[in-house]
Amino acid sequence: MMLSFFDQFLSPSFLGVPLIALALSLPWVLFPKPSAQWLNNRLLTLQGWFINRFTQQLLLPLNLGGHKWAALFASLMLFLLTLNMLGLMPYTFTPTTQLSLNMGLAVPLWLATVIIGMRNQPTVALGHLLPEGTPTLLIPVLIFIETISLFIRPLALGVRLTANLTAGHLLIQLIATAAFVLAPIMPTVAILTAVLLFLLTLLEIAVAMIQAYVFVLLLSLYLQENV
Amino acid sequence: MPTSPVKTRIPLTSFGHLITEVKKQLFGIETPASVELTGLRKYFNSYTLQGRRNCVLVTYGVFAVTAAAYFLHRQNKTENQRSNAAA
Repeated sequence: MMLSFFDQFLSPSFLGVPLIALALSLPWVLFPKPSAQWLNNRLLTLQGWFINRFTQQLLLPLNLGGHKWAALFASLMLFLLTLNMLGLMPYTFTPTTQLSLNMGLAVPLWLATVIIGMRNQPTVALGHLLPEGTPTLLIPVLIFIETISLFIRPLALGVRLTANLTAGHLLIQLIATAAFVLAPIMPTVAILTAVLLFLLTLLEIAVAMIQAYVFVLLLSLYLQENV
Repeated sequence: MPTSPVKTRIPLTSFGHLITEVKKQLFGIETPASVELTGLRKYFNSYTLQGRRNCVLVTYGVFAVTAAAYFLHRQNKTENQRSNAAA
């Protein structure tokens, strides 16, 4: 059977049971929960330090009303980071390559920020749709443009994560296949391709972390406007 | 090392807000005083928060009325065509 390069993105199932549920619950299995001890071990301390630091930095520009989202942002960041990093291992399935999952995260969270803004401070929320100092003739045009940009936000959030991870995994597979095929034919070129593959893997590790961070950061910026 | 003349807290979520913030910090937007805004400009302007809100609401209202008129007109046209065909 000829394998296609896109087979790695097929949602796995075993005997008719979708395994994506298992893939999505894996990050939570891997993280140790905080213990009741006063001083924890190194791993727990490091985990706690990272979560606290990240949450502190993310919530810095937010008002008090936005601080309710601390647990959501921290858990979302850990979730996406772990899913992305686990997906870089060979033969693993990355759930964040599925547009359905990313849109399922992006749309409700974005909508929540919009509804919070319209409910708690409708004047400010509507005022955001027109930048200050706009010339009179451009007012309707800019309102139209800002409305479109508002509705494009969840689409961009979801597609950005999907496209980055899909493209990265595809590139890794292409270059790995090229190195493997070239190895018996042109060993020198194969070695160069392997070096390229190594550098690309380093890049993909960075992209995996950055994309998770960007997703959460943009959500916090959207919340900042509405809180 | 030369530092940027633009201060921090530039909004990144919207291109329009980014341009406005950069304009404000580099050139300064001349916001007219509240006494200068008279008549309709008092309620519909792009300087005060209420003015911007009112502009947005009016734009949406005009769009909604136009859409409603268009769909009603199309409905009437379809009904007229049906009645002509029956006759």
